[in-house]
Amino acid sequence: MRQLTTIDIKDFPLWEKMKEHRRLFSFDLEITARCNNHCHHCYINLPSGDREARAKELTAQEINDIADQSVALGAVWVLISGGEPLLRDDFEEIYLLLKRKGLLVSVYTNATLIRDEHIALFKKYPPLNIEVTIYGVTKETYERVSGRPGSYDAFMRGLNLLLEGGIKVRLKAMALRSNFHELPAMAAFGRYYTKDYFRFDFQLHFRFDRNEARNLDIKSERLTPDEIVALERGDDERFPVLVEGCNELINEEFSHVGCDHLFHCGLGNGGFNVSYDGKFRLCHSLWAAGTIYDLRQGTVREAWEKFVPKVRDMRSRRAEYLEKCRRCSIVNLCLWCPAHSDLETGELDSPIEYFCQVAHARSAAIQEADAARQEQA
Amino acid sequence: MELTLEQIIVPSEDIVARLIEDDLIIVPLVAGIGDADDELYTLNETGKAIWSLLDGEKTLGSIAEELSREFNAAPGEIEQDLLGLAGELLLRNIVVAR
Repeated sequence: MRQLTTIDIKDFPLWEKMKEHRRLFSFDLEITARCNNHCHHCYINLPSGDREARAKELTAQEINDIADQSVALGAVWVLISGGEPLLRDDFEEIYLLLKRKGLLVSVYTNATLIRDEHIALFKKYPPLNIEVTIYGVTKETYERVSGRPGSYDAFMRGLNLLLEGGIKVRLKAMALRSNFHELPAMAAFGRYYTKDYFRFDFQLHFRFDRNEARNLDIKSERLTPDEIVALERGDDERFPVLVEGCNELINEEFSHVGCDHLFHCGLGNGGFNVSYDGKFRLCHSLWAAGTIYDLRQGTVREAWEKFVPKVRDMRSRRAEYLEKCRRCSIVNLCLWCPAHSDLETGELDSPIEYFCQVAHARSAAIQEADAARQEQA
Repeated sequence: MELTLEQIIVPSEDIVARLIEDDLIIVPLVAGIGDADDELYTLNETGKAIWSLLDGEKTLGSIAEELSREFNAAPGEIEQDLLGLAGELLLRNIVVAR
């Protein structure tokens, strides 16, 4: 009988156990809110020299304590994100302390600060993956989005260092007004460098600090529902999957099922997020009053075991939400969620017209493609 | 390297072994432990029993004796299993021999 077995992360035994009961699998650490880029669409970035933000950042010792507590609860996987995590002088210390706890470590970075030292670190102590965002494949477009001259060359240099170093890189792209004309080229670029994985994200949500001027910038970068649909239709890999799942995504039965719970997603079932200043939240978008737990004043165990169930049990009394969103047959296609609702309106349960329009446009496109498919069959 | 029952093996400093919900998961810390960087390892119940006895003091022979008593099995059979697992762990740099 074979005593030692190799397991792939996707076959991890905990996945099955998570179906049986809620248990901790992963957590995200936003180790800084600062970034060296100044992207208009970003929900978090503060200037790299922001002293106040820097002073509030969790220290490596605090991160070590949070990681210890999370590992004791069974966490297996941690994502280091930001802001730009490589802005921190102690990035290597943080990365290694997480690795040494037996955690699988992923890193989100814009790659512009990647240096030879990082490549040596990642080669010796491999991350699960490094995820890099593409903002454009030309200098003009990239820097229009990043808002920083010289950032395109720095991105290309960093990406090349990662690829030449044999580091496992995944690329993703934000689909924005500023780079819409270049999206096909960005997709080709992304798929060329990461054959197994590339994705667009068109979901822009408002800022964690509720900065009104910056929220207007974000709004100006959003694509129209028709543009989003055109983008999805042009995705030969993902659109057929959406059409295939048409009957699950669009379900008239939803309109007969009422429920006043706010949270219907999986948040808080297997993971959590920690902000740069130690705030425990069920996901990175959730900043509403009553949904934030300060880890500088408490423990991960208390947050996970007592606070999360309370948040998940939050309810709505707003008739507009209960009658419109909760009974919507295309709710599975909607970008709406309580966290985004709060960021947009200050309420966890307000319908948002833009998301509604996007969902209906996506639904129409999917149903049309499904009808054509059935006709052909 | 061929292991003998007189040798002692200990978990390598290049891995982290974690017991998660009764599963023993071995997480490589450095490159070169598995065939790919995102590979993990798990041990079955017998493997777990062996792993728990790798205290840096016991030889493989004394571990075999202990397991033989615990599982009420023939020493020869246990020794074969033990050397097989120990060899595989050593080959993958999950343990080191002293």
